[in-house]
Amino acid sequence: MTRRLPAAFGLAALALSACVPLALLGLWSVAGAWFYPALRPPTFTLEAWRALASARARLGPAALASLGLALANGALAAAVAFPVGRALAALAGWRRRLGAALVFLPVAAPPIALGIGLQYSALVLGLGGTPLGVLLAHAVPSVGFLSLYFLGIFTAFDRRIEDEARSLGASPAQILRRVTLPLLRRPIAEAVLLGMLISWAQVPLTQLVGGGLVRTLPLEVLAYVRSGQDRYAAAGALVLVLPGLAAIAAARIAARRAEVPPL
Amino acid sequence: MRPGRWGLAGAVLVAAPVLVGIGYTALGAVGVVGVGAQGFGLARIGRVLGERAVWSGLGWTLAVATAATALATAAAVLVAVTFRSTRPGDRAARALALVPLPVPQIVAAAAAVLLLGQSGYLARLAHALGLIGAPEQMPPLVYDRSGVGLILALAWKEAPFLSLIAFSLLAVRGAALEEVARSLGAPAAERFRRVTWPLLWRGMLPAIIAVFIVQAGAYEAAALLAPSDPLALPLLTLERYTDLDLARRADAFVLGFVGMLLAALAVAAHEWARHRWELLEP
Repeated sequence: MTRRLPAAFGLAALALSACVPLALLGLWSVAGAWFYPALRPPTFTLEAWRALASARARLGPAALASLGLALANGALAAAVAFPVGRALAALAGWRRRLGAALVFLPVAAPPIALGIGLQYSALVLGLGGTPLGVLLAHAVPSVGFLSLYFLGIFTAFDRRIEDEARSLGASPAQILRRVTLPLLRRPIAEAVLLGMLISWAQVPLTQLVGGGLVRTLPLEVLAYVRSGQDRYAAAGALVLVLPGLAAIAAARIAARRAEVPPL
Repeated sequence: MRPGRWGLAGAVLVAAPVLVGIGYTALGAVGVVGVGAQGFGLARIGRVLGERAVWSGLGWTLAVATAATALATAAAVLVAVTFRSTRPGDRAARALALVPLPVPQIVAAAAAVLLLGQSGYLARLAHALGLIGAPEQMPPLVYDRSGVGLILALAWKEAPFLSLIAFSLLAVRGAALEEVARSLGAPAAERFRRVTWPLLWRGMLPAIIAVFIVQAGAYEAAALLAPSDPLALPLLTLERYTDLDLARRADAFVLGFVGMLLAALAVAAHEWARHRWELLEP
């Protein structure tokens, strides 16, 4: 009995903490002019949501740009991180620790400091202010993150099954295509998804490397919150949350993430 | 080449953009490259590191990240210890605790503005309860020197990640160890102090360090929730980098380099903590 009451309070607090911020965003996204101290919006409008579907408003094209970048980044980062994580998993001792620390560096680097360095590289390569430059910038922390992810996956992966295929005469390409990739289909799909989410939420690297020319959804949300246009900010913010929530509901992604650092 | 070499070569390649960034900011800081470069000299470093605004910004950033990390850790431990059974209520609590996990930082910050701002929902509730009249009477939680809004938003965003690790530590290792302590006659408080807490602390430490790094470098949450004085290190770095006075832009190299150095130290601490934990793993 002594435990029940605090536990009930705890459960209620968790429910509030999980729901209130998202519910508020939902309410604000459809509220008409809603001023202090009104507790509920006097009028409702779908204007902000229509802006998301419109090619002429700012939110719609920004959401599309974000989606394109996320898809490309997910595929690119997973493709690069896969062999890196695999090679790292073959290491032992100080080499493994040094390797893990090196790939962790892009994840840990302060985004603004990282962005300043990347902006320089992008300008030298003639990619400053271009979607390709922004994509490559997003790939930097994503590849680091996913290399750690694949390091975890390949540490648990039993390579003897590949040896078996080799002893039966399979070539390295055949082993990859017929054995390794099919076995790891699910972790690879999750890696692509994680890579998409990292790009989807990215602000400072887009801002610095995109130079204001590449407008993504998180940048528009930041601008709308700053200018007090709460309805647009809330609608954009909710759209930013949805893929992640859907992913977490669909996949067991949460359990896997226990092995890698946070986004 | 041996597979071992490939592994390290790949890792160096992944880290290369950061290493280039560290090199570039370091050379920029001593005036060799970038805007405002006037040939090698340490004067800029001395001037920037002599500024009060830099130290107060750095101190404020580290204090906020420490508070947010401590809060997220405490919440994660509390939730994991309170709701650890397989009963439906406990399962629901654990699922609810993970909801903010995929929420981007910018969204957490936007929600914090709407909830905690002086005309936000909390202020409206306080008004409805007769606690305040005008919005100015609401204690400032956003853009405030105390950083309450920023701390809460960052802790809310990162607590689920730490909770996830705490759940798995207790589920995989905790039950058996606690059972041994119980059978040896240790009372509940003693079991927590001597078994559960040390297990959680050691197991969570790498993740706690990672969370601290992310929070100290947080840009978008600080941009929406932090005060203008002291100016958080990421904001100060960007402010200098985009300064209208070109001579001041190179200050950002010094600040960026400081940020990179701190991150590198934190990465080393993270690897040390992870290695220490792996030694305990069976």
